[in-house]
Amino acid sequence: MPPSPVTVMQLPDLSDPSAHRSFLREVKKFMDSSRQPRLIVDLSTVGQIAPESIDLLLECVDQAERSDGEVSVAGASRETEVILELTQATSVLNIFPSVLEAANGSQPQVA
Amino acid sequence: MEMGALVVTAGGDVTSTAPGSSLWAPAWPVLGQTVLERWIKMVRGLGVGLVSVVDRAEQQSNRVHTMIEWAREGVERILLIVLGSYAEIDLCDLVRFHYEGQHQVTRVFDQEGPLGISLLDRGCVLGHRERAIHEPHSHSSRYDFLGYVIRLSSTVSYRQLVEDALQGRCGIRPTGIQTRERVWIDQTAFVDPSVQIEAPCYIGPRARVRASVRIRGCSSIERDCDIDLGTTLDHTSILPNTYVAPGLYVRESVVDGTKLENLARGVELDLGTAGLLARIGNPQPTTSGRPVQVSPDQELPLSGAEAQQS
Repeated sequence: MPPSPVTVMQLPDLSDPSAHRSFLREVKKFMDSSRQPRLIVDLSTVGQIAPESIDLLLECVDQAERSDGEVSVAGASRETEVILELTQATSVLNIFPSVLEAANGSQPQVA
Repeated sequence: MEMGALVVTAGGDVTSTAPGSSLWAPAWPVLGQTVLERWIKMVRGLGVGLVSVVDRAEQQSNRVHTMIEWAREGVERILLIVLGSYAEIDLCDLVRFHYEGQHQVTRVFDQEGPLGISLLDRGCVLGHRERAIHEPHSHSSRYDFLGYVIRLSSTVSYRQLVEDALQGRCGIRPTGIQTRERVWIDQTAFVDPSVQIEAPCYIGPRARVRASVRIRGCSSIERDCDIDLGTTLDHTSILPNTYVAPGLYVRESVVDGTKLENLARGVELDLGTAGLLARIGNPQPTTSGRPVQVSPDQELPLSGAEAQQS
């Protein structure tokens, strides 16, 4: 059985609506064209995640579930980890310390 | 007059964050009362007729001046408490030790060192003046205390004190009514019937805890808070006048208005703009460094600050 396709993306600039739309289009395209797709969102450049970005991650989870896929986040700062836990986003996202570990399919961090 | 007590609080605005530390501020209440209020209660319990609270930020000479003035007015012994810890000292025993040993200055120590509590004789204050007060250790006797002590210097130690109090590991008893074993809820708090409470826990005056909230892990909610629908508090303290948004999972944290300190990760966040936390109501005003006169039976201000009883 072929391995699940993996793609790594970064969150778009929240102040740019077209980048936001384009990000979601790309995610949908990836999810629709794959079986059990794995999306890894690289948060290593995000200092403190905004609530709008969490909404976007949850939209990704929604898309992934339709294709029996999953969404992981990698490289989150401690501040972002706290916010993900606080908003209970950790219940639907896999958390990894780095993109590499997420891509290798290591055990996710316990939230 | 037999004895006076001078309590020195942390410097500056007692509600502001202590310098060099985390979110921690000395005016945080511990299950309904600040540590300052608890110290004053202990001093009052000793029958001390003269209690003054001054701010550490005030010039030290002002403090010294107060003590010399008291000594001149005939106060025989002065109990000096520099607030930095919560310690369940038997003050009667301390006074007895000081009196029977005919010590001029007695300083209280625990295993980690001095606790910032000294008992000074009138003669010492008048005779040595500034030196005796600035350097009470120079010719002092040592009173070793082996009971419950916690040095309050960070949010972590604050949470430790809250947990110790809720678990009955120290003498602090929460204000309010004990509705069932180790669950204290103030009569003026509103707690929706669907709220799940895991003992021990504390809910303070006028707090509002809405439907489907879960409270566990020695959590405390101080006065005038609002915990919105479905939120879970786990090993967490919510400080006065704080709103917590619905559906959150707050773990190992202390929340004060819009600020949250997560103790597990050592992170401090301001979540006001994210709409997850808010400051509500009117927090009690802070005071300047000058002592304030209050009558003996007057309630101390909940936010700490200064009070003088005579």
